Parts: sequence; C-alpha cells; structure tokens
Amino acid sequence: MPELPELNPVVHGKLRLALLSLLSGVEEAEFTWLRSRTGSTDGNLGAQLQKLEEAGYVIVEKKFVQRKPQTLYRMTEAGREALTEYVQALKQMLGAAIGV
Amino acid sequence: MNTNADEQELKDRLSLIETMIAEGRRTTESWGWTFVLWGLAYYVAIAWSAWGRSTLAWPVTMIAAGILTGIFGSRIKSGRPETTVGRSMLAIWLGMGISTFIIMLSLGFSGRMDLHIAIAIIGAMLGAANATSSIILKWKMQFACALVWWATGAVSCFISDSQAGILFLIAIFFCQIVFGFYGMIAESRKRKAGRNGQEVSHA
Repeated sequence: MPELPELNPVVHGKLRLALLSLLSGVEEAEFTWLRSRTGSTDGNLGAQLQKLEEAGYVIVEKKFVQRKPQTLYRMTEAGREALTEYVQALKQMLGAAIGV
Repeated sequence: MNTNADEQELKDRLSLIETMIAEGRRTTESWGWTFVLWGLAYYVAIAWSAWGRSTLAWPVTMIAAGILTGIFGSRIKSGRPETTVGRSMLAIWLGMGISTFIIMLSLGFSGRMDLHIAIAIIGAMLGAANATSSIILKWKMQFACALVWWATGAVSCFISDSQAGILFLIAIFFCQIVFGFYGMIAESRKRKAGRNGQEVSHA
C-alpha cells in the first residue's frame, strides 16, 4: 500500500487555505477585500497573512493611492506550488479514505 | 478523530478551496452597467446628430461616455482585485473602442461617412468584441448579441438608409439596453448567492 502524503501545515490552516485559494484566482488583492471575502477580523487576518509571507507563499506591497494607504497581497510561485501540492495530497488522501 | 470525521474534513477543505477560487473570479463580473451606459450614449448621439445636425454629436458623446465609464469603473473597481480576465476584458473593449473611434472620426472628417458604412463598421466591431468576451466569459447570451451585431452590420449594406437606421436602433435596444439590464440582474443574483457563502474566521 502506498504511503499517504503529509499535508503542508502552513497551507492546512483553514483561513490560510482560504487566503491562498482566493489569491490564486486574482493577480493581487487588497487587505480589505481579503477581509470582506473571508469574514475574518483584522488581527487574525494579519497574523495568518504574515505566516504565509514568512513561508514565502505571498508577498506584500504597501503603497499610497490618492493619499490612502493600501496593502496589496500577491501569491508567489512557491505559494502556487504549495497549494497545488496540497490539493493533490488532499485528493490522494480522500481516494485512500474511500478506498479508491 | 474517526475515519468518517477525517474524510469529512478533507472534503470540507476541498470545498473551501473551490468556493474561494470561485469567489475571486466572481469579482470580475460587473460590466452590465457599461452596456446600458453605452446604449444610452448611442441613442443620445443618434438623436443629437439627427435633430441637431451637428458633426460634433458622435465624437463628443463618445468621449463623454468614455470619461463616464472611466469614472464609474474606477469607483466600482476600488478595492477589488485585478484579474487576468478583467484585464483581458479591458483590452478587448478599449481596443475596439479606440479602433472604431479613429475610423469613424477619419470617415467624418474626410467627408466619406455614409450611414451604411458606419453601421457596418460598428456592427462588425461590436460583434467581434462581444464574441471574444463571450468566449472568455463562457456567456452564451453575449454571443447571441455578437450574432445580432454581425447580422446588423451585414444586412445594413443591402437595405435603404431609413431601414438601416431602424435596424441599428433595434440592435442597440436589444444588445446594449436589454442585455445590459439582464447582465446587471445576473450579477446581482451572483453577488447575493456569494454573500450566503461560508465565512472563514479562524486559522
């Protein structure tokens, strides 16, 4: 019987997984947009985004647009690969769970 | 945790990924209002050029509609993420708009403007832009609009001035005004459905 893959703990967190999935469909996204889509609090969202940033899965860009601060997040190639590998591992584990 | 619970959790994770990816894509679909705005702009330009007999009617109305689209578009886009699909749509419609504007302006200033030629060019351009958008967005109703525009452009070459004018007004009504409102209703429904989606508030 083949060995089941380990799930990446950085990606596995529910909010972090939601953030990576959201960012995979867009080029870049503002902090406020990510907050509205996930229904998360500022503190929790900031902490989870920092973990993703430390893992090298997202990069952050801070700038001013019409004198208003804007924090933009973009998924990196490493983040995309991590999400793809996570989905593959998930599917493999599900296949094993239902005996396929 | 037992095996059933594990399996359910894995399924929930997959479902969450699908929901969030769909959520990201959904944000690009808010263009219905632009069809209504440009449909009304065409009617204003037609009325102004017919009754006002001004050569400035079309260029002024089109520039004004372009500025309004830019202002409303930037307000609506504010805070929303940029997507490849969104940039593709902008490229298609901007390219179509600039091409049509340059050709129509050149025809107007050279004195070679003819109603049949104008409708044929607008029909072909709008047909191409609608068809390309509909293929990218997988939107059958928009492809139907492309067919109507292509037919309008082709048929206008064979009929009288007044018939071509009426055909153009009808095409604008269905492919801009009606389609625009239909798009706005469809987008509103999708947004409501999205709000009922799940919230993800823990790590």
